[in-house]
Amino acid sequence: MITAIIRKEFIATVRDGRLLTLGCSLLLIFIGFLLASTFQLQQLRQEKESVGITAKEQWNTQSVKNPHAAAHYGIYVFKPDLPVAALDSGLRPFIGQSLWLEPHKRNLERFNPSADDILANRFGQTTTSFVLYALLPLLIVALTFNSVSQERERGTLRMLHSLGVNANALVFGKLLGLLAAFSLVLSPALIVALILLQQNFTLSVDDLLRLTLLLLLFLVYYTIFVAIAIAASAYFKTSRVTLFCLLAFWLGGVFIAPRLGAVAAQSLTPNPDAKQFWAAIKKDIDQGINGDGSHEQREKAFEAQVLAQYNVSRKEDLPVGFVSLNRQFNDGYSVRIHALHFDRLRDNFTLQQHLTHLASWLGPSLAIRSLSMTLAGMDLAHQRHFEDAAEEYRHYFINLTEDWDRGRSHGTERGAKGEEADWRSVKDFDYSAPDLLFALHTARLDIVVLLLWLALALTLLTLSAKRLTP
Amino acid sequence: MNTPPAVLEAKNLIVNYKQHCAIDSLNLRVPKGCVYALLGGNGAGKTTTISTFLTFNSPTSGAVFIEGESPHENPDLVRAKIAYLPENVALYEMMSGVENLTFFCTLAGITIAREQAQQLLSDSGLQDDAHGKRVSMYSKGMRQKVGLAIASTKHAKAMLLDEPTSGLDPSAANDFAQRIRTAADNGMAVLMATHDLFNAKQVADRIGIMKSGRLVEEFDAHTVQHDELEQKYLAHARGLA
Repeated sequence: MITAIIRKEFIATVRDGRLLTLGCSLLLIFIGFLLASTFQLQQLRQEKESVGITAKEQWNTQSVKNPHAAAHYGIYVFKPDLPVAALDSGLRPFIGQSLWLEPHKRNLERFNPSADDILANRFGQTTTSFVLYALLPLLIVALTFNSVSQERERGTLRMLHSLGVNANALVFGKLLGLLAAFSLVLSPALIVALILLQQNFTLSVDDLLRLTLLLLLFLVYYTIFVAIAIAASAYFKTSRVTLFCLLAFWLGGVFIAPRLGAVAAQSLTPNPDAKQFWAAIKKDIDQGINGDGSHEQREKAFEAQVLAQYNVSRKEDLPVGFVSLNRQFNDGYSVRIHALHFDRLRDNFTLQQHLTHLASWLGPSLAIRSLSMTLAGMDLAHQRHFEDAAEEYRHYFINLTEDWDRGRSHGTERGAKGEEADWRSVKDFDYSAPDLLFALHTARLDIVVLLLWLALALTLLTLSAKRLTP
Repeated sequence: MNTPPAVLEAKNLIVNYKQHCAIDSLNLRVPKGCVYALLGGNGAGKTTTISTFLTFNSPTSGAVFIEGESPHENPDLVRAKIAYLPENVALYEMMSGVENLTFFCTLAGITIAREQAQQLLSDSGLQDDAHGKRVSMYSKGMRQKVGLAIASTKHAKAMLLDEPTSGLDPSAANDFAQRIRTAADNGMAVLMATHDLFNAKQVADRIGIMKSGRLVEEFDAHTVQHDELEQKYLAHARGLA
């Protein structure tokens, strides 16, 4: 029985002009956005690579100079984007494109596209993922809002009832038939996406796994919408009321929930402004934390410790460069304070993200949006992973230059020199994005939320079957 | 004389919608091979009677039976014995007559091949060139024929018809009435709610007149003439009887 219902629903939906018209329009929009974002991503990756090479070459070809002065020249590093980012640019517009690594100070990313964008674009950007998480569900609503109420209005439900059709078989048959019909829109989109990504990027196994998982999660997301639409159509007596309620659900989930969540998160756990943030770091470095003493007190204690270690009474008599040694000591403390404040800031970002996700009970869109960003490697967790790797690299090259400075000078003189061979010996920043397991661990809460929505949608569908009367 | 067993039977049936009594103490029985025409104006309770047999609504008190079983207690088994034809046979517009017939038969648990479906549609009087066309292009009469084909495929014991000839042209109505008669002659019990006195007289064995939910008069259709039937009907409608 259910096979016949699936088949009938599939045929009726495919023959309905709405699927062809709306589906093809949406497919064209998707392909357009995907082409644009693939081109943009490819260009961005090329630019990052080319600027990275140029910046490193400039570092390598520095003249003979003091190693610490060379370190102040700084090194730019760039977060590599995964090919999946063509489907979802995630936080890219709001996070900087590069990190400048320099001594003494840990920096925030620079050159975020949203800062250069026109004002109008800040109120909502339309991306490839927007088509997937916002527009496709709208197509589902448009095609399914009357899936049961139309049967009631036209009288076919009475016919089905008189034939003893099982209500569960009817609603679940509709669910599967409609999903099969929608796959006619999804499949070409998937094929086009794969071809485009394959042609423009080298896809690793991890990329393919991320794409597959993303597809599966979007299928779950669409199943939720179809199930809720059928349940609503069975529950409400008229198509008009059903459409109104489903549009409210779509609007609430896609547009209102994320904004409500973000506003609530920002109010409950506000971020410090940039001025406050840097001032707090400076204050902690100057005054010290946890009874470490002030900057001057720490320096004096360190000097006494070094003099005792080398068994000399004056800095000038030290066999190693004290200036570098002292700088490294201060940098060590600075690194600790920076890490403290950066972690606090990023923990706040994460907390805000969790608070925002509380709004997921208004609709599943927030969860899939977040999952899409995570699988594209464009979320906070991937960004943090990159920043931590960059910070580790900063320690490496700053410590290396200080080792040269300290070893090539003594006492308080500043005569240490480095040359091109030294600069070239600094290893490149070799960063690889974390694998799918990292993404899955990050996204576990969103996956749970999405599966809970699926369970709720299927429960509503089952309950609606019980209320299905002609 | 022995009373033949009833295929369709209502016993002291009362159906209330909130405060409104839609059917009031209805007793009727339709044996095998009998066409029973329920006459009455709008709101007389004809459709509610049929809907109760189909379990679209439940009795407030009393009961209906199909071959001695209550459809409300055993809906699946009983529905298998009933064919239903509403005033407007509701079919799927995007599918052809053959596809609709095959679909509804599958739901009723009967698997038929395309050729069989075409033969059944032809037997129901649907022109061959219409079999593959979408139902959205069908006239009401053509839809009724598809409905009849569905009913006949089920090999049902009883057929429930709700205003089956309403809106059909005289020729189509006459054709339809003959097919109903044939079905009854082949052993089916038919309960038909209708406004169409001519059709009722032509096809029915028994006629019941309903008014305000009550069966106010019941008689053998063969014992009355057309004029007499019309007078009885109008008398009840005008409150003169």
